[in-house]
Amino acid sequence: MRGIYKIWDVVRLGLHSLAVHKVRSFLTMLGIIFGVCSVIIMLAINEGSSYESQLVFRELGSDNIILTAVKPAADDSKASAQKGGILSYGLTGDDVDRLRGNVPNLVRCVTVRRTPNDASVGAKRESIDVFATEPDFAKVARIEMADGRFITHADMLPPSKANCVLAQPLAKRLFPCEDPLGKPLYLGSQPFTVVGILRRLPAALAGEASTSGNYAVIPLAADRDRFGMYATRVAPGNITLERLELTQIILQMEDERAVVEGAGIARSLLARYHDKPDYYVKVPVELLEQRRKQDAIWNFMFAMIASVSLVVGGIGIMNIMLASITERTREIGIRRALGGKRRDIMVQFLVESVTLTMVGGLVGIGVGVLAPWAVQTFLNKRTIVTAFTLVLPLVMSVAVGLVSGLYPAYRAAKLDPIVALRHE
Amino acid sequence: MSDLVHLEKLWKVYRIGLVEVPALRGMELRIGQGEFVAIMGPSGSGKSTLLNVLGCLDRPTSGHYRLDGQDVSTMSDGQLSDIRNRKIGFVFQSFNLIPQLSIVENIEVPLFYQGMPRRQRHPRSRELAHMVGLGDRLAHRPSELSGGQQQRVAIARALANEPVVLLADEPTGNLDTQTSHEILALFDMLHQRGRTIIMVTHEDEVAAHARRTIRLRDGLVETDVETARAAPACQPQAGAGDLE
Repeated sequence: MRGIYKIWDVVRLGLHSLAVHKVRSFLTMLGIIFGVCSVIIMLAINEGSSYESQLVFRELGSDNIILTAVKPAADDSKASAQKGGILSYGLTGDDVDRLRGNVPNLVRCVTVRRTPNDASVGAKRESIDVFATEPDFAKVARIEMADGRFITHADMLPPSKANCVLAQPLAKRLFPCEDPLGKPLYLGSQPFTVVGILRRLPAALAGEASTSGNYAVIPLAADRDRFGMYATRVAPGNITLERLELTQIILQMEDERAVVEGAGIARSLLARYHDKPDYYVKVPVELLEQRRKQDAIWNFMFAMIASVSLVVGGIGIMNIMLASITERTREIGIRRALGGKRRDIMVQFLVESVTLTMVGGLVGIGVGVLAPWAVQTFLNKRTIVTAFTLVLPLVMSVAVGLVSGLYPAYRAAKLDPIVALRHE
Repeated sequence: MSDLVHLEKLWKVYRIGLVEVPALRGMELRIGQGEFVAIMGPSGSGKSTLLNVLGCLDRPTSGHYRLDGQDVSTMSDGQLSDIRNRKIGFVFQSFNLIPQLSIVENIEVPLFYQGMPRRQRHPRSRELAHMVGLGDRLAHRPSELSGGQQQRVAIARALANEPVVLLADEPTGNLDTQTSHEILALFDMLHQRGRTIIMVTHEDEVAAHARRTIRLRDGLVETDVETARAAPACQPQAGAGDLE
């Protein structure tokens, strides 16, 4: 009980002596305030980027390897890729067979062919992306149906069915006042039937089309039968014929360990059979790892900045406490003469420095919650403020108060009461 | 019952560089319960050293000091703090109040170190402030008071812990004659109420208030005389009313 009364009184005393020197206390606290702010920013950015990493991770699937066709650069294509006036590039069915045959622990392999096309209903016409794929696409990517169904294995069986799944915004534009399910539409010159409405495709797979919502998904078999693998590209001044078999191969692996191994094999396989870099291997696990490394560098930098400012703040506190002890030597002598023990003096000055940093910490939190918001608004970097983001800097500022108050408090406690009493 | 203060062959030697300077040279002294003693002597005679030892601020180099039956000469720093806190009241020449604390808060500092809760400290220090005639200045700071008033606060503070002995170091040294009389009257009153007082002074007039005058020279007692005084010259001042 005795101790509790004392501590509370000592805290009051500490607040009191802060109030006596308001300007001095505030200037001293500034260091801590900045320190706490930078810790909060650091933690908030850290939280934000790990959240974003998880988001990307979740969208792509942690056990996937994604191979994407890339159109070679123009001069490159003229030199080597054009065979008989046809630009041939991208991933092929042979690639799929090779991958299926050689990549161990492969669970499934899903192919996608993405082509630009027009969708029309009556006089309404929209430029869209057509994703031709297999029913298993729904198993490797996170898709959300709004209505109807996704493409099925029945769609794939010959004769291929001309069914299509529309993105929700596209469906709204093409069928503004009626239920699109079961309605006919034209993709290019081919008639299709709407069987489902898709709420979203993962942005990581569908690219910019996922945000504009201008896409349709059709069975790969129907794509083969109705559109083939050739496309004509009309550009000002020339017409090119392109052969693009597949734009994407998604390999779903057994687990994350298999992903790393499989990615290596896939890379070397593709490198052997493709004489130009017309593909790109995306491995979410590797991306995440990369991102984590990048984040770690940032975090380290921020931690350094934050701790430097806290240390500077701590030095300020120590300085002011030493000054205050010289100023109050007489008081220390009086307190000792009246029965204050060394421990009491020590506690008094420790509490004072902790009070200083704690008030600084609280003010810093007050200012600091605005800082992540500013970072998010002006630097366009995602930040997340959690309870931990706010509690940790407070704990840190208390620790700084303790550490930087220790030496001054020890000096104060060590003073000889007789000498201290005579101090002018 | 033995004496309240009992010094036996008390030595205090200061070491300044390689030179040893003895301030007290085997002092023998007994002071009984309820005495009012003045300690006098030229500077360098060991007055301050004696007072520091008596006040448990300093430990003797050798010899024994028994206070209230306890040998305090070999106690640790912490134990001495406790003794100061519970058995000794200090009154200094320069008042030594803590400037940022109010009058009430100054008076309750010794109680604070006893661990007494605020609820109990406050009434007690208010009562003491009334006793020394400063009941209307409770919330003031020391800097807002005159020298005499500050010394009254210091006396109230010295009495807060009900000390067995009140040690005063030139309590009127910084005060004018009139105020000095008032402060001394307060000491007289405390003496009449049975308080043991040891007062260091270099003024005969001040020493005349005591019943016994001890003169020191070169770290030893030179003379020790009982001064049977008649009724004090000044009556206790206004406000020095009803304690107990």
